[in-house]
Amino acid sequence: MRNPVDGLMERWARDMARRVSRRRFLGSVGALLFGAATLPLLPVARGETPRPAAGGATDPGDPQTCEYWRHCAIDGFLCSCCGGSVQSCPPGTEASAVTWVGTCHNPGDGHDYIVSYNDCCGKTECGRCLCNRNEDDKPLYMPFKSNDYNWCVGSKVGIAYHCSTARIVGVAK
Amino acid sequence: MSHVRRAAAGALAALALALALARAAAAQLPLEPGGVTQLPAQPGAHWVWVNDFSFFALPDGKAFLVDGDSGKMLGLLSTGYSFDSLVVPRRGGVIYSPETYFSRGTRGTRTDVVTIYDTVHLAALGEVKIPPKRASMMAMMAGQVLTDDERFLLIYNYTPAQSVTVVDTRARKFVGEIDTAGCALVYPTGPRSFFSLCGDGSLLVVTLNEQGRAASRTRTKELFDGLKDPLTEKGVRAGDTWLFASFEGALHPLKITRGGGIEAQPTWALFSAAELAQHWRTGGLQHLALHAASGRLYAIVHRGGPETHKDPGADVWVWDLASRRKVQQISARNKVASIQVTQDAKPLLFGCSFESNRLDVYDVASGRYLRSVEGLGITPGLLVTP
Amino acid sequence: MSVRAPGAAAALLAAAASCAAAPPALTPKPQADYMLNCQGCHLPDGTGAAGKVPSLRTSLAPLARSAAGRRYLVQVPGAAQSALSDAELAQVLNWMVRNLSARPPPQFREFTAPEVGRYRASPLVAVRATRARLLGDAP
Repeated sequence: MRNPVDGLMERWARDMARRVSRRRFLGSVGALLFGAATLPLLPVARGETPRPAAGGATDPGDPQTCEYWRHCAIDGFLCSCCGGSVQSCPPGTEASAVTWVGTCHNPGDGHDYIVSYNDCCGKTECGRCLCNRNEDDKPLYMPFKSNDYNWCVGSKVGIAYHCSTARIVGVAK
Repeated sequence: MSHVRRAAAGALAALALALALARAAAAQLPLEPGGVTQLPAQPGAHWVWVNDFSFFALPDGKAFLVDGDSGKMLGLLSTGYSFDSLVVPRRGGVIYSPETYFSRGTRGTRTDVVTIYDTVHLAALGEVKIPPKRASMMAMMAGQVLTDDERFLLIYNYTPAQSVTVVDTRARKFVGEIDTAGCALVYPTGPRSFFSLCGDGSLLVVTLNEQGRAASRTRTKELFDGLKDPLTEKGVRAGDTWLFASFEGALHPLKITRGGGIEAQPTWALFSAAELAQHWRTGGLQHLALHAASGRLYAIVHRGGPETHKDPGADVWVWDLASRRKVQQISARNKVASIQVTQDAKPLLFGCSFESNRLDVYDVASGRYLRSVEGLGITPGLLVTP
Repeated sequence: MSVRAPGAAAALLAAAASCAAAPPALTPKPQADYMLNCQGCHLPDGTGAAGKVPSLRTSLAPLARSAAGRRYLVQVPGAAQSALSDAELAQVLNWMVRNLSARPPPQFREFTAPEVGRYRASPLVAVRATRARLLGDAP
């Protein structure tokens, strides 16, 4: 199918200079959601303190930056800057289960992870840490690969988009 | 003699005072009754609506009306959550605006409406309630369009189920929803027909009956490769032909055939081999514009790698559609992500970018930068000329 | 009883928590393909979103029993228009029937690439109406 991983490192490096600026333009309303009701094991659903991302050599980079490896196809505000994290929604927002899912290359361990970009919804935009990367993005007529939709459509609280997470859900390679 | 002089001095003083008072009375500004400005019934040839999708404040969508010649803002419409664009019929008089509202701003009950505004007072005349499903997405012209006779308003829904809402603008009523699963957006092809772009590279061709209900739905064969070099969604219409640029800058003409059908014509390259070698490509949000009378296509271009098809550009190149030759290169003072041209004989080119809230104005014939209009919302997106 | 996230993902979380240096278990390909092409809307456990995205948990097995149902499962745009090859789509469908059904069917004739290719050749337009007819629901 697609080739999100091959050349990803190259593209990522090339794009890094372009993405560093905080005044980065918008691309579309990204969406990462996972349903609190359908995945009760997840910290958000249980109200537990979310487990922080591993960090260190195998999960390098700062989740509050656009260049962080998991953000390879994200589009929106980073929940890490908004009181949440790459896997947890900020307080009082609702995770939307419907989302789109892509793969990103982790330079820390060389694996390609399947990343679910769940959106957090129900409040106005966080407005901090805007990040748009269009790696392997496709137009609106291929919804499963489009970051131009507001993926809060799957949220029970409605489409008010707040921020996007970047949660590992699988390992592609 | 002194009493005469004193009397004269007194009289002069009195005269001076009287004159001063009279002058003061004459110079006094008149009191003002106040009022509300009205627009002329006919829009100016160089007017443009700047649709602000307000990405940092999605509940506060709005549209600014700007006079390209004077650089003045003429008015504003306040248009709700996740706003896309106004729909401005050619016949004038009214403006249609698909809008979304929550009962508590960002939560509560969602209501979607098509608000109908009059063009003289920019006031709401009424609204038509529609299913609360209109697509919340990056601003796209193809999210809401009129059929060619402007009788029906078509709105793309995404819940994520895909469908099209049909509104009868004459009766000001919701007609129905057409299932368009697998296909996105709406592109009118006639008084009772439109197509959507489908994920497998085909088109869904829909015809409507007189009441606005679906009379037929047909999928064409595959007309483009959505995986290798997808069409962008941002097509423009030149008469009976829709023109779409692909990610890599190939131009795909889709010609409307009898009965509202569609056929793909051979693609042609916007860029020469040398230009492609230098990585020139189209990019932006509303990256194509058309001047119908001269048959010229305008496109925002930049040099960039693959997957930069949404990037703004600092250049606008112009092609003559009949000869398919590039005829002009306009260097933009500021990068732009959206462009539009007026349709008169001395057209202006408008450009804006969501990286700023400024509208830039250029004279098309000379390519010369004329002026900028500042302070137009938060993230100006789509440009529509009335 | 909680609904478990797909096995590989849960294993991954456990592995990451316990030993950062251990290599992660690869998600089996049909499941990875489900994640990348279907999970976004149908969710990891196939429940979808009421009124918007159909649940797969009770519909997959019955649909897979009839020719018309099998044709629908391939022709529904999310499947037919995915970037998967016929063989990959067949594998994903087989994985889905076995892993997402609330009651996995005791007998299940697996999808094959040629069968998928046959159905995929003609696109389905009346998607909602066909599904409603096959499942006996109101559209």
